[in-house]
Amino acid sequence: MSATSAIRQSRFGRGAALARLALRIGGRYVARSPRLLFASVERRGELRHDLALRSADEVAEELGSMKGVLMKLGQMASYIYEDMPLTFRAAMSRLQHRAPPMTGALASSVIVEELGGVPEWVFADWDPVPIAAASIGQVHRAITHDGRAVAVKIQYPGIARSITSDLRNVGLLRRIVGAAFPGLDTRSLVEELGERLHEEVDYAREAESQEMFARYYDGHPVIRVPHVLSELSTSRVLTSELVSGSTFDELLEWDQHEKDLAAETIHRFVFRSLYRLHAFNGDPHPGNYLFHRGGRVTFLDFGLTKLFTDEDLTPLVDAVRFLVFEKDYEAFRAALERAGFLRAGAPVPTATVVDRFGQFYGTVLQDAPMTITPAYASAIVRRFFDARGPLAPYSDVPRAYVIMQRINLGLYAVLGSLHATANWRRIAEEIWPFRNGPPSTPIGEAEAAWEANRLSKLPRKVLKN
Amino acid sequence: MEAARLSPLEPLAKAYARAVSEHPKDAGLFGPASLVWRVNRDRCFPLAGMRSLMVQALHPLAMAGVVQHSNWRQDPFGRLAATSGYVLTTTYGDTESALAAAAWVRKVHVHVHGVDPETNLPYSAEDPSLLLWVHAGMVDSIVTVVQRYGRRLDPGDADRYVAEMVRFAEIVGVPADDVPATVASLRAYIDSVDLRQATEAARDATAVVMDPPELDNDLRDLWHDLALVAVGTLPDWAREMYGFAAPAPELMERESVRQLLGALDLAFESLPGVLDARRRIELRTRA
Repeated sequence: MSATSAIRQSRFGRGAALARLALRIGGRYVARSPRLLFASVERRGELRHDLALRSADEVAEELGSMKGVLMKLGQMASYIYEDMPLTFRAAMSRLQHRAPPMTGALASSVIVEELGGVPEWVFADWDPVPIAAASIGQVHRAITHDGRAVAVKIQYPGIARSITSDLRNVGLLRRIVGAAFPGLDTRSLVEELGERLHEEVDYAREAESQEMFARYYDGHPVIRVPHVLSELSTSRVLTSELVSGSTFDELLEWDQHEKDLAAETIHRFVFRSLYRLHAFNGDPHPGNYLFHRGGRVTFLDFGLTKLFTDEDLTPLVDAVRFLVFEKDYEAFRAALERAGFLRAGAPVPTATVVDRFGQFYGTVLQDAPMTITPAYASAIVRRFFDARGPLAPYSDVPRAYVIMQRINLGLYAVLGSLHATANWRRIAEEIWPFRNGPPSTPIGEAEAAWEANRLSKLPRKVLKN
Repeated sequence: MEAARLSPLEPLAKAYARAVSEHPKDAGLFGPASLVWRVNRDRCFPLAGMRSLMVQALHPLAMAGVVQHSNWRQDPFGRLAATSGYVLTTTYGDTESALAAAAWVRKVHVHVHGVDPETNLPYSAEDPSLLLWVHAGMVDSIVTVVQRYGRRLDPGDADRYVAEMVRFAEIVGVPADDVPATVASLRAYIDSVDLRQATEAARDATAVVMDPPELDNDLRDLWHDLALVAVGTLPDWAREMYGFAAPAPELMERESVRQLLGALDLAFESLPGVLDARRRIELRTRA
């Protein structure tokens, strides 16, 4: 084994869950999300229409026989390997956009199979030229017969079956992982890859999650989730409201006040969804937002939604309460142990536990405005992957929380690149169930009004909090 | 997948990029509508290549020429790249480049002659019968492997392909009339060659094809699987000459072989220039 792979082994040998987590994030972080392209339709020029796939056979040639599966694996692993060799980085970037879009006719044939008619008939108006590529499909614009502008995500024909079959060849996958990424836990990598891809090919599941978020946030002053048109959605077609807005890159050109507002909304969305909806959309990723002036943000892509039980959430809420409010550090430690983040009885002083895990609560420890910088975000990532720290032998990320740790890795990266300033503690207090703090910002005021109105309209049984 | 570990494939990638010119002067010997264009870029070509070498090696005089006049033992991947570069240039290059490549091969062949130590027979690489053997071994392998593991190639198209490939033999010096132009006559010709045998040199060459020296462990495993599949596609007589057992049927199953080929092909595509070259070919077939 080479010296570098020995280092990797020590860094990543720490726990399968960590590797899986990084994979999950990496898969999303590196993949150029189709949603990035939503905002500016002109960018469709980036798609290689001259090479468009004309048949299911051509799709299979491009993405079948392990190719799609391995592309995903490469994307995921490129996140794990922070110190990825340049040659590998170059190889991945050459492959990044290798799958061309489908021809209009091929896309149309999927609509026929899934929705029972040609798109020109199923929709009042249909744009045969896709506006964006997705990893296993593409997105078209259309107008429904009742006049709604929609985005229609269409899956490549045959791809679900071929991915399923490829994933069954576990022996080959493990050998390829072993060959390409020495020192990683191939078993869990391949397992995670499988789960990730199974989620990705099932549009019906994504539709269900997205609609749950959309309903909850209906009427929200700054948070918008496009509704799914279920009658026009299947496991291979996902039709939702078309929203246009600015991309993350465009937001970066706006003034700091707008950036702060957008950051506040993203922060509110993540924690409100978690604590109130008991759901986490595991995708805080710049490509999954569209921005509008005044802090309004549209949230896209719900392919990786995780629902939490009270049992899952209670230890997390307890941890915050004991660390931030009651300053009862033994109780904080016990909460972490209950959640499974820290092995019970680890021979480490509680002060060390507070020091290490407290890092992840950096934005809410003080009741004061704080600017989240890229340096802060990357320090969190580094701390997360630090296998040499005193707690490394005793800490792990329990399966139920793996997806949620993206808060640390994805959300703060997004907020950091906005250099966002806010009193995050006050905003968090509004949402923490044990505080139910008063509105602390204008957006908070508007949100409180929305919530009061929402609660008054909802049937009692829906109310959980 | 990691590029650094794929360095043995780099000469192949370079050959590919070079063979498919960005500004060809004409459509070349075959043209974008030909079956040669379609078949010679099938993703299962590595498998066809392995089988070709295994079959071609079974002619002692062809094998002797390789052993006595090439550095393939020191640089098997370089040699492989040269051969595939030749196939690609004559397929996708313009007429001038294709004929120049063929002229160069003929020039090299002038110096390739001698006596095979195992049969004590004299040989010359200019001998049309040896050139035909090499041609037939390759074309038969391509047809066999593509039909089994590649994109569709029905019997009519397979015959058309073999007929189109007559030109391929002609440019290195085989009279067109001597070159079989159907799958059946091609196989009849192969079966008619009496000199076929697995000499020490042939066994040695095939051992290197199956286990090339420059691959590290995990990649070697994948390569070895592919080589076993190649063995499984050999005609019975060839397998018996080598003394190979027929591989287990599961190993030969189409879907899993295609997965293996797909993985290898993606790795190949990740090397510089390959994807662009493939796109140039694709665009020209669509034009």
